[in-house]
Amino acid sequence: MERRDWYKLDLSAIVYPTLQRRDFSSVYRLSVLLKEDVRPDVLQQAVDMTMPRFPTYKAAIRKGLFWRYLEPNHRPGPFVQKDVQNPCQPMYFKANNRYLVRFYYYGGRIAMEAHHSLGDGTGGMCLLLTVTATYLRLLGHTEIENGGYVLDINEAPGAEELEDAYMKYANAKVCPPRPGEKAYRVRGTKEPFYTLNIVDGIMSASEVMAVAKRYNATITEYLNAVLLYALMTKQQKDWHIRLKPVKIAMPVNLRRFFPSKTLRNFITMIYPGIDPRLGDYTFEEIVAHVHNYMRYYINEKFLRGDITTNAETQRNPFIRVVPLFIKDFVVKSFYARVQDRNSSAGLTNMGALKVPEGMKPYIERFDICMGQPFSTRTNCAIISFEDTLTINFASSIIEADVERYFFRKLVKDGVHVKIESNRCMDT
Amino acid sequence: MSYCVNCGVELDASAKTCALCNTPVINPNELSQKGHKTPFPQEKGQVETVKRKDMGILMTTVVLTTALTCGLLNIFVFPGAMWSLAVIGVCAILWVIMIPAVIYTKQSVYVSLLYDGISVAVYLYMLAYMIGMDNWFWQLGLPIVVWITILAELLTFCIRKLPRSFLTVSLYIFTTIALLCVGLEILIDRYIGAGIHIGWSAVVLTICAIVDIAIITMLSRRRLRNAVRRRLHF
Repeated sequence: MERRDWYKLDLSAIVYPTLQRRDFSSVYRLSVLLKEDVRPDVLQQAVDMTMPRFPTYKAAIRKGLFWRYLEPNHRPGPFVQKDVQNPCQPMYFKANNRYLVRFYYYGGRIAMEAHHSLGDGTGGMCLLLTVTATYLRLLGHTEIENGGYVLDINEAPGAEELEDAYMKYANAKVCPPRPGEKAYRVRGTKEPFYTLNIVDGIMSASEVMAVAKRYNATITEYLNAVLLYALMTKQQKDWHIRLKPVKIAMPVNLRRFFPSKTLRNFITMIYPGIDPRLGDYTFEEIVAHVHNYMRYYINEKFLRGDITTNAETQRNPFIRVVPLFIKDFVVKSFYARVQDRNSSAGLTNMGALKVPEGMKPYIERFDICMGQPFSTRTNCAIISFEDTLTINFASSIIEADVERYFFRKLVKDGVHVKIESNRCMDT
Repeated sequence: MSYCVNCGVELDASAKTCALCNTPVINPNELSQKGHKTPFPQEKGQVETVKRKDMGILMTTVVLTTALTCGLLNIFVFPGAMWSLAVIGVCAILWVIMIPAVIYTKQSVYVSLLYDGISVAVYLYMLAYMIGMDNWFWQLGLPIVVWITILAELLTFCIRKLPRSFLTVSLYIFTTIALLCVGLEILIDRYIGAGIHIGWSAVVLTICAIVDIAIITMLSRRRLRNAVRRRLHF
C-alpha cells in the first residue's frame, strides 16, 4: 500500500482547531473500566503496538497556507500516565511531542482523550477498544478475537478507514438552510482555569428502557426529553427578561445511514428543542415532540442535505483560496456568535456498545465524556454496555442545577441512579 | 451505600456531600469507615507546556553567528570604520524582542516592553558613539524612545486591565496615536530649537479627538452601541 505522508482534515475537523484557546480545546474522553487494576507497563506496550494501526491518530497537526493538515508523527509516545482529577485539559498542538491523544490509567480504568480533529467517538472507541484488547491479550487472555470496534493490529490500515466520508456522500442537489434561532444559554459561575466538573450517573439500561417504553419512546428520545425538561425548569427558575427556545445539539453518527468505515469524523448535528414561549410543556408533550422531531429529521435524505450544506462551504473556490488566518478568524467568530448560541446544551449517545465475546468478562463498564464546553453550559454523554448505562455530565460552571433536575426526574420516573463525581472529593 | 435525602440518588461510598445539591452525607452505620477509594483521582493535572527550547536555541545561534561573523569581517576583511557595531546592535535588539516569544515565555509583557525600549535606546547610543555625535541622542533619540515605551506600556495596561471590546480598544488606540504625535512634535521642536509650536500634530489630535468623542458617545448610549454592533457584526 502507498505510504501516505499527510492527510487533509475532514469537514468537521477543520472547525475544531480554529476554536482552540489557551483554556479550551475540543477534546473528548472515552474510558473503559476493567474488573482488575491496570498494569501501566503492559498498557504502554499495548499502546505502542496499537498506534501504528491508526495512522490518523499517530499524527500531528500542522498549518498550511490555506488549510491545516495531519502528518504522521514518529516522535516517541504517546505515553500512558496516571489519571488526573480534572480531565480533558486543553491540548496544545505543539506540546506532548505533538500527539493529540492521551492515555491514562486509574485503578481498573483505561481512559483515552483525543482531539476531535483526529476523529469522532466511533473512531476513538475503535482505538480504545483495540488498545484494551491488545492489553488483555498481553496479559494472557489470548482468546479475545477481533471484530466490531476491535481491529486487527497486524493488518495494514485500509483506505476506507482514512477517507473523508463527508465529501463522498455530500452530493444532494440542494443545500437546505441551517436552522439559526438563538437558544437559551445556561447562566452560571465560571470555574477557574482549569477545572472540569464531572457528574456520572450510573443506572440499569433495562430500567431506563422500560421507562422510555412507558412514554412510547426510545432511550435516546427519552433522555433527550429529560434534558430538555431539566433545561426548561432551569430557565423557568432563573431570573430572565424573556424566555428563549431550549435546544439540544445532538451529534448523529452518519455511519448508520451511509456505508462508511472511516475512523475520522463522520457526524452531523441535529437540534431537537422546545419553545416555552408557545406555552407550558408537560413532560409527555416534550417526549412526543422529541420523538416526532427525531423521526422527521434522522433519515438518510435529510442528513445528506445537511452535510451537503456544510460541504459546499469547503468546496467554494473563493473560500478555498482565503489564507488560513482569515478563515480561522471568520470561523471562530461564526462559531462563537451563531453556532454556539444555537443550542443550550450538548447531548451525545453512543448507544449500546458491542465488544467481542472474549472481552466481555473483563469489562465492568464504559464512560464517555464530551469534554469541556466552549461556553458556560453543560455537555451530556451517554453510553451503555450490557445492562449498565452511564450518563456523564461535564461542565465548567460551579452550579449543578441542570444535572440535579435531570437526575431527579429520572429518580422520579423510578430509575435507580448512582452518582459518581469529582465535585465532592475527599481532599 | 448512602442516598441523598434531597435527590434520591445513590452516592459513592467516598462522597461526603451530594454532587448534585451539596447536601452532606451522614451514614450512621459508616461513621468510622474511612479510606474508600474515590471514583476519580485526587491529583490535579497540569496542562502540558509547549517546549520552544529548540526554537530558542536555533534563533539565538542564528543571531549570535550573524553578530560574530560581521564582527570578524569588520576586523579582518573590511577594517576601518566600526560598521559591524550597527549589525551587532540590530542582532541584540532582535534577541531581546524574541525573549518572551521563544526563550522565556513567562516574562511579563510590561517587562518585555521595557527591555525592548532599553535595547533600542542602547542601540541608538551606540550609533551616536560610532559617529562621534551624541547631541541628537540625548535631546531627541532617547526622549522619543522613552515616550514610545511609556505609551506602549500604558496601551498594554489599558487593553489588558480595562474593559475590552472593539470600541474600547479603538478608543485606547486613537488616544495613544494622538498622544504619540503631539509628543513627537514637541520633542522635535525642542531639538530644532524653534520653540514649541503644535502644528501638524494638532491635525492628528483633532481627528483622534473627534473619533474618541464619537466612540465615547457610542459607549455611553446603549441604543447607539447596539445599532453600531448590528451594522458592523460579522
